[in-house]
Amino acid sequence: MPQPQPSRDAAAGAVFAALADPTRRHLIAVLGAGGAATATGLASELPISRQAVAKHLATLGRAGLVSQSRRGRESLFELDPRPLADAAAWLTTVGAEWDTRLADLQRHFKG
Amino acid sequence: MTLPRSEGGPAVERTDGERVSRSVELDAAPAEVWDALTEEALLAEWLADEVEIEAEPGGEIVCRYADGEERRGEVELVEEAERLAWSWRREGGGSSRVELVLDAIAERTRLTVIETAPLRATGPLLLAGTWGAPLARLRTAVRLVLA
Repeated sequence: MPQPQPSRDAAAGAVFAALADPTRRHLIAVLGAGGAATATGLASELPISRQAVAKHLATLGRAGLVSQSRRGRESLFELDPRPLADAAAWLTTVGAEWDTRLADLQRHFKG
Repeated sequence: MTLPRSEGGPAVERTDGERVSRSVELDAAPAEVWDALTEEALLAEWLADEVEIEAEPGGEIVCRYADGEERRGEVELVEEAERLAWSWRREGGGSSRVELVLDAIAERTRLTVIETAPLRATGPLLLAGTWGAPLARLRTAVRLVLA
């Protein structure tokens, strides 16, 4: 479903708000484990109503963490890992930079 | 994640949330290590190809790399032979904070570096420190999705 492109800061706020709630984290885990699902299907795995699930899915959608598509009369929701992959890339890059620098520093003191 | 190694390469590795930390033991006393963290000629041996630093709070730090990249920042904390911190930003990128902590271990020094990226500066994709646990869960979910 096409969504307006939020500003970076607004998107940041949305991701954090999305992750702040334990029910939404549970939803993400369920979507991650089971793949695309309907709001009804997700509600059957959580102790909350379909309406509450739909509300949480909308929040996750605004954060870019969940995408929505149509299958017949149903809406299918799917986890979108891209924001998380970008976060992981930062961690990997910065970690590798320090590994290199600190190895050089150790060599300096062994020299 | 790797387990701590006894001696040699970068030892303790931690990566969670937007925080990266590494810890190494160096064959030198803290005072000598401090020089390597604050003197430009010594910094050029390990931090970047060319380093300018004014090692006092509010001082400027500039790192230049052979590939033309440049990072500029500001020194935030100077506690001689104990702690040094600066914030820096690569051109076109977000800013992050680097903190270096020195601990004396007999005649040697344990140097710990922590780099953190504040949410505001890094855009939507980085998760602040308190989000370590949710991020770990999300990573698990993502691996399952991608598998």
